[in-house]
Amino acid sequence: MAPTSSMPPLERSRLRRLQTLGVMCGFAAGAWLGAAEAPTKLVRAGVSPVLISLLMVVGVFLARWSLPALARGTSQVYADAQRAPHLIVWAILAGCLWAVANTLTVFAIRDIGISIAFPLWNLNSLLGIFWGFIFFHELRDAGWWRWLGVLGGAVLMFVGALLLALASSMQAPGGHALHGVVAALAAGALWGTMYIPYRKAYLTGMNPLSFVAFFTVGELVMMTVLALESTGGPGLLWRELVTEKSVLFWLAAGGFIWVIGDLFQQYAAKYIGISRGIPLSNTNQLWGLMWGTLVFGELHGRSASLHVEVIGGSVIMSAGAAAIAFSAAPPEEHERWQAAAIRESTLYGTDIEFVRAGLEGRATESSTARTALDWAMLVIATLVFAVLGAIARAPMVDLNLPAALVLLGLIVVILALCGTALWQTTKFS
Amino acid sequence: MKTKQGDEKHWWAVMLRDPQWWVPLIVLVGGLMVLRWIR
Repeated sequence: MAPTSSMPPLERSRLRRLQTLGVMCGFAAGAWLGAAEAPTKLVRAGVSPVLISLLMVVGVFLARWSLPALARGTSQVYADAQRAPHLIVWAILAGCLWAVANTLTVFAIRDIGISIAFPLWNLNSLLGIFWGFIFFHELRDAGWWRWLGVLGGAVLMFVGALLLALASSMQAPGGHALHGVVAALAAGALWGTMYIPYRKAYLTGMNPLSFVAFFTVGELVMMTVLALESTGGPGLLWRELVTEKSVLFWLAAGGFIWVIGDLFQQYAAKYIGISRGIPLSNTNQLWGLMWGTLVFGELHGRSASLHVEVIGGSVIMSAGAAAIAFSAAPPEEHERWQAAAIRESTLYGTDIEFVRAGLEGRATESSTARTALDWAMLVIATLVFAVLGAIARAPMVDLNLPAALVLLGLIVVILALCGTALWQTTKFS
Repeated sequence: MKTKQGDEKHWWAVMLRDPQWWVPLIVLVGGLMVLRWIR
């Protein structure tokens, strides 16, 4: 079907429902992305930054091909790729951006400490708002009140992040301040820009589960190249992996949890855009802090003023997130998103009905059957996790198990609620 | 791939003319340069 130059406005009730869903996904992303830090805290210091990043990416890759493969199998990913083949390259590019940014953050923490590094790379929200406005007509015709909500909310979140990062700083900077600042800013620029491919894909109608499939390929390839270059070749990389075999499972588990958060982030970017979706998913810092303080006792025995700083930072950050959550896109702004989607359809010749269905959260595929390939991938991913688990050593870290179980229960409830809402409203499309 | 104007263009050719393609690519190259510099 040839693309047409018009698209009827989305029904108001449907738009409201999708916006609420997007906000829920943004908060769920924050919860799961924050929890992804927990398994990596079990790994003792001294493991190479590149190895940490590589193993997390392996976990991400395996996780994508486990449970989500049952939600949307390879045949549907293939069908999406046929409709918009250019988005495969975009997704791989986004994966490369993520891998480089993640590696930069490890170096930034090493050089300037997490207290300065975290707020610096969290500036990605502001960059996301900028790209969303420039390229995808986000916040156009939104009214000054919503502008204030989104921009003001992002600034509040930055201030809250700054306070939280200062409070949760547990390690002394290792020197090379300039290197650290540049690395953190570069990571923020890469992550902020990574959302251009995200948004482009969703304005074109691609399914987030399909996008993430190619995204993880980009991540894995880029991270493998970086790891090979860093260690000096396949032999040396393998030797390092064997030396650290007892911690590989925990790093891969971090990746597994991360990908669930990322999937929610993708749905948030799809339904509320990057200008609102990114700041909301940046609430991961609050969750990371909760895991750090409640489970790993990171602030135990610290001064009362520090606790005040933590509570103040959390309240400010939550207020910023709430301001953004209540600044949903009005119908006028959504029509501008549709105009941006029509541009994509016209430029790349993508079927307008596919684009429209994606924007409205309607499933387009007729068959949802799983193939033998899906089951084979599920078995392989499970086996790899089982093998890594079998050779893993129990961490020698003191942790508050009841608190860990409560937080774990909480994020599982969030997963169930958001997963159900996504299925009922969009059938994961 | 057929564009609205009816021209037959491969999506690669369309993508290379799309300014939105160059922004992430340039940022990626910049990020890799920073990584090389700090290591």
